[in-house]
Amino acid sequence: MLVRDIMRTPAVVITPDTTLADAYRTMQEKRIRHLPVVEGHHLVGVVTDRDLRLATSALAPHPFAPESRVADVMRTKPVTADPSDPVEDSARTMRELRIGCLPVVDGGHLVGVVTGIDLLDALIRMTGVDKPSGRLEVRLPDQPGELARLTSFLSHRDLNIHSVLSYPEGPEAVRMVLRVGSIETRLLAQDLRRADFDVVWPPEKPWPR
Amino acid sequence: MAAVIYHPAYRSYAFGDDHPFSPRRVEMTLDLLSELGHPVETIAPEPATEADLLGVHADYYVRRVKALGAGEEVADCHEYGLGTPDTPAFPGMDEAGRWLVGGTLTAARLIAEGGQRRVLQLGGGLHHARRNFASGFCVYNDLAIAINELTKRGLWVAYLDIDVHHGDGVQQILYEDGRAMTISLHESGRYLFPGTGEIHELGSGVGRGLKLNVPLEPFTQGGSYLEVFEEVVPAGLRHFSPGVLVVQAGADAHFDDPLADLMLTTRDYEAIFRRILEWADVYAAGRVLFTLGGGYSFRAAPRVWALLYLVMNGLPVPETLPAAWRSRWSSTLDAPLTEAFHDPELGDDAVPTRDEIAQRNRQVAQRLLDAASAYWF
Repeated sequence: MLVRDIMRTPAVVITPDTTLADAYRTMQEKRIRHLPVVEGHHLVGVVTDRDLRLATSALAPHPFAPESRVADVMRTKPVTADPSDPVEDSARTMRELRIGCLPVVDGGHLVGVVTGIDLLDALIRMTGVDKPSGRLEVRLPDQPGELARLTSFLSHRDLNIHSVLSYPEGPEAVRMVLRVGSIETRLLAQDLRRADFDVVWPPEKPWPR
Repeated sequence: MAAVIYHPAYRSYAFGDDHPFSPRRVEMTLDLLSELGHPVETIAPEPATEADLLGVHADYYVRRVKALGAGEEVADCHEYGLGTPDTPAFPGMDEAGRWLVGGTLTAARLIAEGGQRRVLQLGGGLHHARRNFASGFCVYNDLAIAINELTKRGLWVAYLDIDVHHGDGVQQILYEDGRAMTISLHESGRYLFPGTGEIHELGSGVGRGLKLNVPLEPFTQGGSYLEVFEEVVPAGLRHFSPGVLVVQAGADAHFDDPLADLMLTTRDYEAIFRRILEWADVYAAGRVLFTLGGGYSFRAAPRVWALLYLVMNGLPVPETLPAAWRSRWSSTLDAPLTEAFHDPELGDDAVPTRDEIAQRNRQVAQRLLDAASAYWF
């Protein structure tokens, strides 16, 4: 999944001459917390609702007036993302820099924005259930050809795989979590065990018949 | 006596000999009741008309079901969940589906017009079917069609789904409907098909707060099931004040079910059925429509559904299963049928994590009620 698949486009933007009061109103009206600042199509900064609240706070040593310009409080030279970046790269960047948004720039033009909330949406899309499906969890040896052996077993049964997640489990195994388009995952698990797969879910029932 | 709806044509809703959704389960149920000295008098329904189907299903979907049932090739049938390993095409698919829908509709009309209080539809309960998508053995959604019929006639419906799988099709079709509450108890979608039925699925628009889901931990036993059942269902019914209950009485939460992982026994089912009938009396003027549903253990499902009939009619539950019935059907199964009617107790140590499971289920029920009751007033 790439940044272009999840970014907000077109982004709501302001200019360096926008007043803090107008920038704040825009955030309230659009229910957003991050505004890229542009001159033409060119990105020159980012301002967040936190920037505005801190800049105008009565607790600040020299509070800015509501009529001040955004140019005086914005972050210049913000870190940006490319539309072709994988979403996990954006997540890592935002996490490392402790920021909540990345303007997306393509060929020098601002084309969109990705926020932490968009990344949560991406997480839901990647792991969520959008088609009726059952869960299948299989432990595979971490060797070439093992995943192919599993997917070809499923394809021979005409089963559609809706999603696949995998993570390493110890040094020599990989845990595969699949959502397959079938209500009959228990019967499928029986057959997988007969074919020497290590099926973690669904488990064998612990009680005798 | 409860009215019982059935027609031999229900047997035509069959996906092949090895398919779990076998009409034999209902034949075994009827035969068991007959051998117990309670031959069931049934009311024959008419199959549903195409207009009945189109109240819920898209015309392009019905057209494809008909074509597949007539043996025609439908190149894009997979996009509609048809012709899949779970829901394969079979000759006469449309007609067979319409018989089951017709049965549930007949049951609804007996209640809405005929003044009947308790009706048992010995089939149907196809809760996974969507407007334009077949899923989990379900082609046409008899429940949603019958519920619409009841609400149209002024009876608001509380739909209670005790099948082990989430009643996703019914919930989706009625998601924005303020005249129908849906309550589904099921094994959590994190582990079991269809994957949905989380507590945050609460309905939308005027239906917000009227769609309740209780996703249960795998290996939940009767004690914990009944605890959350008691906590959630009456609270919902009290708020909603339905005119009628529609109950999808799937028998696949039984511990012997080959497709799922809950651990109810027949004694748990007896307690559940008795409570539902009490709630129907208290909250819905005694009006209750039961359908069947999932339930894929030939050893368990016929006993569960025979129990439903006995409890609905205030008949005693026998100690033992009739020898004639056992010998007739044992030969068709891979192990003989037990002598006792009820299951043996599973014992306290059947699941080592029983207390942890019960605690999680309790929290889920509490979080559900907290979230849903925010919309109740």
